[in-house]
Formats: sequence, C-alpha cells, structure tokens
Amino acid sequence: MNDSENEDRNENSSDNSSDNGSESSARVPLHERRRPWWHWQRVARSRPRLAVIMTVTGALLGALLGGAGVAWRAGVGPFADDRACWGALAQDDVAALFDGKRDIETSEVPITSDRIGSEGPSGECRLTSPRGRRITVQAHQLDTGFGGAGDRWADEFLSARLTPLGDGLLGMASDTRAWLAVPDGCIGRPSGVDVNSGPTVIDMETGWTVYDDEVDTEGRDALARAVVKLVNHYMAEEGCTSEIADPVRRMSGPPRALDEKKDAMCGVKGLRLPAAFEHEGRGATVVTRGGGPVRTCDRDVLFGHPELRLMTIEDPRLAMLYDRLSHDGAKDQVKVGEQDGYGFVRDDMGLFQAECQTGQVTFLVRAEDGRRPGDIRTILPRYVAAEADRIGCGPLRVTLPASG
Amino acid sequence: MKQLMGGARRRAVLVGGAVAVLVAAGAGTWATDTWPFDGKDTYCWGAWKEDSGPDFLSGDALDEDNAGRTSKETAPTPRRQRGRCTVALHSERADSSDGGKVVEETEITVTYGPAPKSAAERMEWIGGYLGDRSMPLPDGLPGATDGRQALLVLPEGCDTEDGRPTTVTLDSMARSVYSDNTMSGDAGLGGSQSVARLLVAAANRAMEKADCAPAKPLEADSPMPTLPEDDEDFFTRACRIRGLEFSEKASRDMEYQVGTVTRDLQSCSVRTDHGNGRYFDALMVAQPRLSALFDGATGSKAPARGWRGTGVFADDYKVVRADCAGRPLNVLMLAPSAHEKTPYFAAFANAVTRRVGCAPVAPGGSSR
Repeated sequence: MNDSENEDRNENSSDNSSDNGSESSARVPLHERRRPWWHWQRVARSRPRLAVIMTVTGALLGALLGGAGVAWRAGVGPFADDRACWGALAQDDVAALFDGKRDIETSEVPITSDRIGSEGPSGECRLTSPRGRRITVQAHQLDTGFGGAGDRWADEFLSARLTPLGDGLLGMASDTRAWLAVPDGCIGRPSGVDVNSGPTVIDMETGWTVYDDEVDTEGRDALARAVVKLVNHYMAEEGCTSEIADPVRRMSGPPRALDEKKDAMCGVKGLRLPAAFEHEGRGATVVTRGGGPVRTCDRDVLFGHPELRLMTIEDPRLAMLYDRLSHDGAKDQVKVGEQDGYGFVRDDMGLFQAECQTGQVTFLVRAEDGRRPGDIRTILPRYVAAEADRIGCGPLRVTLPASG
Repeated sequence: MKQLMGGARRRAVLVGGAVAVLVAAGAGTWATDTWPFDGKDTYCWGAWKEDSGPDFLSGDALDEDNAGRTSKETAPTPRRQRGRCTVALHSERADSSDGGKVVEETEITVTYGPAPKSAAERMEWIGGYLGDRSMPLPDGLPGATDGRQALLVLPEGCDTEDGRPTTVTLDSMARSVYSDNTMSGDAGLGGSQSVARLLVAAANRAMEKADCAPAKPLEADSPMPTLPEDDEDFFTRACRIRGLEFSEKASRDMEYQVGTVTRDLQSCSVRTDHGNGRYFDALMVAQPRLSALFDGATGSKAPARGWRGTGVFADDYKVVRADCAGRPLNVLMLAPSAHEKTPYFAAFANAVTRRVGCAPVAPGGSSR
C-alpha cells in the first residue's frame, strides 16, 4: 500500500524533473524508463515480484542479524576478543604482564586430562614478546611422588622471594613466579580417595630467574592478578560458580633481605646460626613474608638455588608433597612421640612430617650438599621445636638417631 | 512537517521504529538472559527462583507423575523479627519391585530469628550447625555449612532488642518412603557452595523485609572451603589432639571426624557404634559474631576448680568461655552424660587454646 502511494508521488516528481529517456521500449512504462535498471521501483514492478523481493531481503537481514548475534555471544568474527591462555586473559591482562606492550604472541596446549585421570589435568600456554621476554603458564597436578631435594618446582615456586596470596588461598607470587592451587570442592582435589594426591595448580614463570633478592612489587602484583584470573577462568569453564577475588590488596609487601641475628637464624628465635653458615660478604637471607601456607628461609641463593633452605609448609594439601619422602631414609629416622609424625636426617637434609591438629605439616632443612652434616643435625630439632610452637603444633621434640 | 511526511509515511516510520526497538530489546534480553515475563515462580521472599541452579528448584525435579513443588512463607517485619519459608517437593512413583508406591519427599526450610533461648537447646543447636562436617562460609561471613544445613549470623543491625544476634538457618530433609521402609536421600541443594549462595540470598531478602539490611548486600562469591578429610575409624588418638587418647580396644567401633580447624572455629567429633552414636562433639568458637551466640549461656563463674574464665558443666553439655588474645573464645562439648568426659574436654580445651596461642583454660595445661 505504501509502495503504490510512493510510486505515485515519485511519478509526479519525475514527470516534473526530466524528459530524457524517450528511446522507448513500449512495454516499460514511461516513468520507469527514466530510472536506471537497478532502481528498486523498476525491479519491483509487480506485487508478486515485490513480495518475493521483500521475503528474500527479510531473510537475508534476519540471517545477518542472527549471525551477528551468534558471533557476538560466541565472541568470534568481528566480536572476537583475542583472549590468551585458554580464553582466560584479555588483551589488557596480557599487556599488564608485559609493561603495556600489546604485540604479544600466544600459543597454547589446551587443559585436558589423560583418559583415566591418573595424572590430573594438564595444559600449557606461552606468551612471547618479540623483544624476547616470555611467560610460560602451566596447569598441572603436583606430583606427590617427587623428592623435596633439588626438585625444581619446590626450588622455584616455594622460594622465599614469593609471597602468599593470603586469605587462605594456596598460592604465592613474586615478580618472576606465581602459582595458585585450584580450590578444593567444585573441581581440584576432592576429599576422599584423592586426599593423598597433590593439588592441581596453575603456575606462571617468566623466562629467566632473577638473582636479585629485591622483588618488584608491580611485577609481582601483575602476576598474582593473572594467576587468579587463570584459575577463575578454569573453574568457570568447569562449571564452578565461585570466583576468587583480586588478591593484591591483602598481600604483604615483598620480602627484603633479613638482618639476621646470631641467635635467630632465619629470624627463628632461639635458633643459633652455625659458624659455617655465616655470610661471608656475599649472599643474604630472605624469608617469606605474610602468613602461611609456606614460610621459607633461603640463604645465599646462587643461580636460583639456596645454599641452605629452612621451610615450613602448613597447608596439608601442599605438605602432602613431602609425605612420601618423609618415609624414606629409614636408617636415620628421627624419634618423636608415637603419633606426632615421622622424619629423617641425612647429611644434606633433615625432614620432619608432623601430625598437627590442622593436618600434616612439613618441616624441612636442606643444604645444597652434604658437607655440613653436623649442622643439619643441630638445626633440625631446634627448627622443628621453634616452628611447631609458632604455628600451634607444639610441643614437638624430635630426637636424632646416633650419628654414623 | 505534515507536507514533508504524509500520514502513511509517518505510519511507516513509526512501525519501523517500533520494530527496531523491539528487535533491539529482544536481542538485549536474549544476550543478557533476562526476560521480564518468564512466569517463573520465586520462593523464600523472592530470594530463590525456579530453574536458577540447584536441582530442587529445577524443572527436572517435577518430571515424575504426581510431582509438585509447594511453598509456604512468613516474612519477618520490622516489628516481628521472625520468619520462615519452606519449599517442599512431593512426587509419587510405582515401586518396580513390589508394585507398591514410593513417595519422594524433599523439604528445604529457611528460618529467620534469634538462636534458641534455652541454654541446653542453644548449645545443641550451635553444635549442630557449626560442628561435625561443617565448614566456614566464604568471604568471612560468620556462619558455616556442611551442604545439607547452614547457619549465618546477621550483622549487628539485626540483633534483637535484648542484644541477641539474629540468624538465618537452612535445613533440608529428603526421603523416599517405601511401603515397608524409609530411606534418606539427597535434597538436591547442589553442594556447599550452592547452599552458601541460597542462604545468603534468603538472608538478604529477609533483612530487607525486617528493615535491617546493611548498605551493601551480603555476598558469598569466593570458593567455599571443603572438608579436608573424611572420618577415620582406625585410631588411638582422636583428631590428632594430644589427650584425646583411646585404647585400641575402646576405639574398635569408634570413629572420629575432624571438621574445621582455623583460628575462628574448630571441631572434633568422636562417634561410637561405627559412627551412629555420639561419644562427644567438641567445638571451639572464637569468631566474634559466632561467639555472640554463646552470650548468656556460659555462666558467671568458673565451672569447676582450676578452670579459667566462666562456664557451665551441665548434664548434656559443658561450655567454657575465656579471653584469648583480646576476644572471647568458647569451648563446648556435647556428650551424653553416661561417661565422665571432663578429662577429654580439658584436653581439647587446652590443646586448642595452645594451638591458637592463648593461656590454657583447663587446669593442668601449659602455654607455649
């Protein structure tokens, strides 16, 4: 109806305006001859033809709208949001990890579980800057079968340079490393049969180890935020409804080199510093700041490895890592109350796995080599007693087997 | 204007505009998953919506014949600080084994109001919600849940006139009634995380009705901690606490369950008869708002010689409150009075206070 009325008006106006186009074809009405062949009124000459055209146009428009809508919701095509690392990190999040640079390339292996789920989920994502800096993100289940001695993960990710994320989270961050365990419950380590397996963690490492004891707070905060986003996204993908809040505001400041007193090695009151471990010009003592789940004291770190590490792991999920090892070294087993725990001492390390009210707690004294067995034997019982008191697991008195 | 735009053309523009607005609005509602007139039922003062997550609210719960969901509710008001709402599911099906009929019943109840006034009743009530397998609610909310029941203490603004805290509790019941017996089942609450959200949603609505809602609604977004361990039936020391020792012979039919162990809350339950009977339920509560639930029930003098703080040793429970690092710490033991359990209570009280770094409560303890 509208169309015919429009036609009439158009007819009038065209009559007034022009009179060329007289080279006639008898069938085409005069007013149409004046229009180019593609003019809609010429194309839609008749009502059936108009109807067909309207239908086709409508269908096309609908398809376009629908397609655009789907693309929008699915985040593809022009609506794609180039999210990195399994879709967890937006471009801004990635830029925050690379001093605002936006030319970061990403590659990834999706997070999947092996068919029987025996090793837990795993996946990897790599962020690479054309200037050479890169960040590797890994999702994996910590292997409780590993030994504490010289193990790379514990060395790097439980280092005193890292600060706990706080609020009961099992995770830590520094300016070069960050990790966070997927909280138990929705996914991650359920209770029951899996209670003896390690936690599933997502960890991040920047390409190189920093030998500097000072931690850059801004860089640390960026990694801490990113690792929480990665875990939140992983949980959401698995259908969990909870979300971990931004951890940065509740984290302690990064650790500083400790002014170590002779009768308070690693800041542990009453723990005398053996003469052999006194700093000789080089080296420093760095102790984890903030409350739990891990307190590590690294002394004289060289190429990422401390010459001596004293470590307390309060969270039973992480202490599980040392459960198997603590049963090793049977010949030098330490003695305690029957149900207080078990452990051993050997030339390069002492380990005590305590049964506290909160669950298993690990106390570890570990030297780079076995050159000072006497000092390890001196430190272990005192360290265990002092730390057990601090975390509320005292009194714990371990006695050592006769040396030899 | 009239000349530029004839009646028909104006109509066309109006129709086109209306269509555009409708399409945009439709796309918006679709994209945001909102719909103004979806005809879905809401429950518990509008806090819960049909099909919004947990099974008991879903359409699937009503798939069977003769299935129905009913609800009842009384909202609290500024004058009457009590309320209750119940969502019940009822369905019937034929029992394939004997041709009889099986009735499935589920009932979820939310109660708004103060804790029970009677001390004995209140101690049992506190132990029921905070002890055994319950874990603290996320985001620092003063409360706990084990996935089947839950308790939340509301902010001070909702306290009763005599200063008692108001709480919101959630309880659930699910059972299948056969012709010859009854079995308990799963209420379809969707686990602890979901219960925490249901509880907080109901609490927020109830506080609005009672006119004591805080400026910012309560939230339970962070992951809910989960119980780190299962019950243990092979032991001589319960809950890894020194002094809770049992002979191998005595503990043969017993089991223990370690619940929460934090600075705010700790529980240890010891059961007899393979978990069916209570030997004791021991609980420590130091979180200030949860601690307020004990107000007025812990007596005015030491419960016995040598104990620190104030307390009451009654037939079915023992409770002591003492200062710990500037805040009151309460220890509670619920136990049938058949056996003398004061030594276990003393051991628990001193082990827990030592763990959190306070002076001992019971006689004979030593501090660190």
